[in-house]
Amino acid sequence: MAQTNSERTTETFSGRPQGKSTWFASLDLARPSRRHWLGYMLLAPAVLLMIAFVAYPLFVSLDISFQNVGIVRFDQPRKPFTTANYEKLFTSPDFWNAVWVTVKLVVVVTTSCFVLGLGTALLVNNHFKGRPLARLLVALPWAIPEIIAVVIFAWLFDSSFGLINWLMIKLGLIGSPINWFSTPGAAFSAVSVVMIWKGYPFVSIMALAGLQSIPEDYYNAAKVDGANVWQRFIYITIPSLMPILGVSMILSMLWVFRDFSIIYTLTGGGPLGSTETLSIMTYEEAFGFFRMGYASAVGIITLVICVVVSRLMLHRAPENL
Amino acid sequence: MLKALRNLAFATAASCMALSAIAPAHADTTLKFVSWQKDEPGVMDWWAALVQKFEESHPGVKIEWTKVARSSYVDTMTTLFAGGTPPDIVHLAAFEFQQFANNGWLENLAPYFKEAGIDLNGWTGQSACEYNGETVCLMLLYTGYVMAYNQKLFDAEGIAVPTNWDEYIAAVKKLTKDTNGDNIPDQFGTGHDTAGGGSQYITEMMNYILDTGARFTDADGKVTMNTPEMIEGLARWKMVVKDTLTPRDLPSADIRQLFSDGRVAIRLDGPQIWPIAAKSPNAADLKLAPVPFTTPVGGGSNVLGMAADISDENKKLVWDFIALAASDEMQSAYASAASSPAPSPRADMSEAKAKVEPFDIIAAGAKAASDAGIDRLPKGLEIQFNEFTKMVKEEAQRMIIEDLDPAAVAATMQEKAEAIQKQ
Repeated sequence: MAQTNSERTTETFSGRPQGKSTWFASLDLARPSRRHWLGYMLLAPAVLLMIAFVAYPLFVSLDISFQNVGIVRFDQPRKPFTTANYEKLFTSPDFWNAVWVTVKLVVVVTTSCFVLGLGTALLVNNHFKGRPLARLLVALPWAIPEIIAVVIFAWLFDSSFGLINWLMIKLGLIGSPINWFSTPGAAFSAVSVVMIWKGYPFVSIMALAGLQSIPEDYYNAAKVDGANVWQRFIYITIPSLMPILGVSMILSMLWVFRDFSIIYTLTGGGPLGSTETLSIMTYEEAFGFFRMGYASAVGIITLVICVVVSRLMLHRAPENL
Repeated sequence: MLKALRNLAFATAASCMALSAIAPAHADTTLKFVSWQKDEPGVMDWWAALVQKFEESHPGVKIEWTKVARSSYVDTMTTLFAGGTPPDIVHLAAFEFQQFANNGWLENLAPYFKEAGIDLNGWTGQSACEYNGETVCLMLLYTGYVMAYNQKLFDAEGIAVPTNWDEYIAAVKKLTKDTNGDNIPDQFGTGHDTAGGGSQYITEMMNYILDTGARFTDADGKVTMNTPEMIEGLARWKMVVKDTLTPRDLPSADIRQLFSDGRVAIRLDGPQIWPIAAKSPNAADLKLAPVPFTTPVGGGSNVLGMAADISDENKKLVWDFIALAASDEMQSAYASAASSPAPSPRADMSEAKAKVEPFDIIAAGAKAASDAGIDRLPKGLEIQFNEFTKMVKEEAQRMIIEDLDPAAVAATMQEKAEAIQKQ
């Protein structure tokens, strides 16, 4: 029977019968029990790439985090296993400060992006003159490269020659210029503003796509039932958008978690660690102080936090997490 | 006819054999060279000339010259070395090569210098390249600070060029003002980079700290930060920054631009300020003078080395490149390109003097700093330099933000610096 199947497979693939059974010929993908093999074979390149570029580096980082290593070299023997990096990490005030700053930034930026993104999406979802231009303006920050946006904002916030201070003084909001990048609270605010400006269009675009997919019939039925604008928003718009908003929130949150260029270019993590997030700390430990074992430990903890928060937000936290 | 053809064939074959015999042993070799100065005005022409001269004298050898931005230079070089694919010719800043040497990534050049008979006595800043008993690099540039000032702004306030701290701070205070009445100062007496990394921050601070006689460490590498001199130096820095006598939170490039535009009256800087001043629309008003302090800031700028993990054949070629860079001819050219004295005592500075008007002032600054043994890199903290500078920057910022007593800050710095050193 096996011989017969093999011959049939050979016929199927080559178009002509072959006398001897080969390994390739034995891959009888026409057999119902082996049809799923084709799926695996087609997935294999992507899986191999994922292993090479995601899983392997992750494993290496995890391995390095358990070694007391300065600069990593793969031609050098592995250093002895140690948990010293994690022990140092959990007793380091700098680490807990970075966690606190990251959490603050995630909450402030993600919440603001959510509110601003949803607000602008609702606005440009209405019919009014100039709507295409308004939609373009809403999406524009998303299209501007981060580094260009940061340089522009650095000048806007400049304490001596920046537009923000000038405007605030002219409007009577402040009496003297604010040193935006050398005062902890002001620096955090400046970083948050830039990240919100850069991040809200993503939520806005996603929410707009969601709004356009809500059937008009829902709103008409609600109007017939006497629902006012606020009730229609709460009971129709928000529930219909929740799947999209949930994913947008998680993606925005992960973006804030991992963003490096905005903070590093604007403040370098300062002053006094007021904008030093976990990603800035990882970079500084690795390439500033050449403590790659310690930096890997920070990176692994960041990853764990991201995974846990993402799972909790999706309400699908596994039992064992 | 046949004989003639045969003779021609013999002649051709003989020519080919002769040519192959004299062909270089390094045919089709490529040397990797990474630098952040590939498009830096002034020195980029010198590098280009050096590469061209080397390739002309080594037929078949090409130099693959790649630019990496200064902001990501250490990361890139660390990755290249750690990945086992270092550049053959190693170009590093004078404050960062120690980490590479510490990992054994830089070849000891002492035997090469000895064999070639190159005398490094009197080579400015070369002692910094001696690391753990090895000569791991060739110092390319050692600079001292000068004071660039705007004569027109000085004249408008009736101020003479300051020659000491008291005159300097009086001038700086007088020159800082709000010229358009919007309650925001838009003209500053001096300009410091307070936005850069720790290394740049402490360099700016050192202008005042050195004048009081303070040093971060002594000749034995012992931390000496809790001293009356350091406290006075910190108090001066606090006054200049807290009283907004300098624009806040701007990088060096922006400060230099403001100086060029006439918005900053005094800039304490290395020789790189001169080409900017010379090209300014206000060039006629921009002058150089010695710093008005007892000791100018100084230090090594950048070094040239050889990767240890390359083939012997490439090592010979890289050495030829370094030897060419150290030659009298190229050193003389370097002085003109960098607008600063070349480190070689044999370099002919006449062309540079003719080209750079205040060359003698720049040279005097470098000599004064060198004679006083000044280096931005504190002895005994070379490996922990980045961590040390970050700590000093943070404590100095804390002093300004929280209005702390410089004496308490000096004590904290001493304690933290000792802890960093012990790691």
